[in-house]
Amino acid sequence: MGSTLSAPTMAAILREPGKAAPSTFSLTADQQTMLADIAEAIIPTTTTPGAKAAGVGPFIELMVKDCYSPEQQDHFRKGLVAVDEASQKAYSKSFVALSNEQKHAILTQFETAAEEEAKASRQAAKAKDVDAETGQIKEEKKKKSDPPVPFFPLTKELTLLGYFSSEIGATKALRYIAIPGRYEGCVKYEKGQKAWAT
Amino acid sequence: MYLNIDAKKAATYDAIVVGSGISGGWAAKELTEKGLRVLMLERGRDLKHVSGYETAMKDPWEFLHRSRVDNIAREEYWASVRTGYTANEPTRYLFENDKENPYLEKRPFDWIRGYHLGGRSLMWGRQSYRFNERDFTANLEDGHGVDWPIRYKDIAPWYSYVERFVGVSGQKEGLDVLPDGEFLKPMEMNCAEKKVKSAIETHFPGRHMTIGRPAILTSPTKIHTDLGRAQCQSRNLCSRGCPFGAYFSTQSATLPAAAKTGRLTIVTDKIAYEVIFDDKLNKAVGVRVIDQNTKQHHEYYAKILFLNASAINTAWLMMQSKSKRFPNGLGNDSDQLGRNIMDHHLNAGASGEFEGMEDSYYYGRRGNGIYIPRFANWGNDNKRDFVRGFGYQGGGSRQGWERGAGMKGFGADFKEALTEPGKWTFNIGGFGETLPDSNNRMRLSDQKDKWGLPVIEFDSGWGENAQRMRIAMMNEAANMLEAAGAKNIKTRNDLTKNPGIGIHEMGTARMGRDPKTSVLNGNNQVWGAKNVFVTDGAAMVSSSCVNPSLTYMALTARAADFAVRELKKQNL
Repeated sequence: MGSTLSAPTMAAILREPGKAAPSTFSLTADQQTMLADIAEAIIPTTTTPGAKAAGVGPFIELMVKDCYSPEQQDHFRKGLVAVDEASQKAYSKSFVALSNEQKHAILTQFETAAEEEAKASRQAAKAKDVDAETGQIKEEKKKKSDPPVPFFPLTKELTLLGYFSSEIGATKALRYIAIPGRYEGCVKYEKGQKAWAT
Repeated sequence: MYLNIDAKKAATYDAIVVGSGISGGWAAKELTEKGLRVLMLERGRDLKHVSGYETAMKDPWEFLHRSRVDNIAREEYWASVRTGYTANEPTRYLFENDKENPYLEKRPFDWIRGYHLGGRSLMWGRQSYRFNERDFTANLEDGHGVDWPIRYKDIAPWYSYVERFVGVSGQKEGLDVLPDGEFLKPMEMNCAEKKVKSAIETHFPGRHMTIGRPAILTSPTKIHTDLGRAQCQSRNLCSRGCPFGAYFSTQSATLPAAAKTGRLTIVTDKIAYEVIFDDKLNKAVGVRVIDQNTKQHHEYYAKILFLNASAINTAWLMMQSKSKRFPNGLGNDSDQLGRNIMDHHLNAGASGEFEGMEDSYYYGRRGNGIYIPRFANWGNDNKRDFVRGFGYQGGGSRQGWERGAGMKGFGADFKEALTEPGKWTFNIGGFGETLPDSNNRMRLSDQKDKWGLPVIEFDSGWGENAQRMRIAMMNEAANMLEAAGAKNIKTRNDLTKNPGIGIHEMGTARMGRDPKTSVLNGNNQVWGAKNVFVTDGAAMVSSSCVNPSLTYMALTARAADFAVRELKKQNL
């Protein structure tokens, strides 16, 4: 590093007292393209625009940068690398070059693996943290930091948030009325009608 | 300090109200309407009705993190994030930066503050219930705390008085446990709620479910429209500030009413830190404040003072107000000042899903839910291993896109499924009464904040009675959902939340019948300083299990009426 200050150190010096340091997490251009493709595979364009049109890729990057721990950020970045490695291994192509079916197959692998991972840690946690009689979360649980969320469920959850709370998602895939003007408790619903966005 | 006569005269009013939240607003309205010249002091910034509600008209996609809390906010709003909602992007501007306004936790306390004009009247839950007759005798019956110096009949006319002005929507039920008020049109239950109501009332004699009673205008009267308030537009974005003035707040209601008299002066950015007690006159003569921006000190004078800074900060102000007469803090002969902190314990209950009713949905967003009044230790229900009781709030809704995170799969079919509403779900969560306990307290620590004022240290817990009650809160919720035919019932009893989480802190300067065991008398006068009135949550003697703001408002109107009568008789 020599005598130059690293970016995080500079940020720490320049920021206002009492203010937390902003994260320096960022993705490469290739990773950004890939992330947008993964989001589009989760919420594709159908009769309504998909995740890419709603800007979900950049949204996920922003959320991971601003709202998650360095450990989770690292885990997420490794997940992107792993998805690309799995694509190379299965099809000798990078993820972005795969057909839609191939992308679906690769991501299904990651979804299945994440389920196994989550199941194992849930079982381990349940035995330790929850009092069987009262259902209370034990004291130790509060202090312990949770393991990082696996790549696929995190990306999926952020894709859903980014898409359905976007203007496209809320107004095209769902129904959004900013000012309903009244409340009616029981109205007829017919199959095919969109859900309320909020 | 030298003050010339004119300057002192300019800073002199008939009454000073410290705090501009739900009870301070009422004090200002009542006192000005009764002819007094009133100074309202607010420690935080000015915040204008409508134009000050900076997030009120934003659509979901206009929030950078789509409403969620980012890491910087998580660090700065370290107490507020504990609620899981107050520090979110849409409402964060109305809550305090805890890093700038620190407090200490000998035992953990979730202290959620709003330092601006209007205080937490802008973000409150709006649920407005009367205490019942037994709430006022509970302490006497089971020996916890001291007896209330008043009974239901003393406050009932004041409940009616404030309800008519506030505008409370609700359904009359004729229940002793949840006395009816002066209601505007009730909001409607949805199909799942009607089903659960019917099941509860069929399977559990003595239990009831009613629509919540929020301070929201469903059918405004002239009282409300004259102040510029309009009917609820069903956006359910209340806690961002309502541009229609549809829910009751200081800004929408009491402030315009007080301003109409021409006798109200509002001074913001002034932190009141000491009541000036004149040992010769044997009464309070004013307050000392520090400007939160310039850090300059000022004094203001008045014949009477109303302390409405919220339970914790009112006690903090009184603890710092030392005189020859009150060496341990204003009105603290009993050593009860800052003790008996109460709240409501939450986060215990159950949720479930319903099959069917797929052809029904709702229109609009209702800023309200259902209410199940207390049934434990009431009537024939008398075999509990705890004292007092709990009510439930909750409601039914159809699952939205959020369910997708827990569903397997992704892609086109997955997306299309999420664009339609999912199953009906139902959630009920308890609000439990906490007991007055003198060991639940706050102190002034040796640490000072950026204004050189003492930082508060909390030392308060839920207590064993609450722990036992919570098991019943969880199990009874599940029993009722099961009786209604719910499936996949999930119970919860989350003890990771601390006192304060209900944002109903109260009890720190309690009323009572005896100056040896209480801080205020039955008219909210400080024992030994009869021209000082405390009518916020600090005054509460017990907590009931219902939301407390309506009671603060009724106590304030009652005390203001008494104060002005006494002033006219020259007794103060």
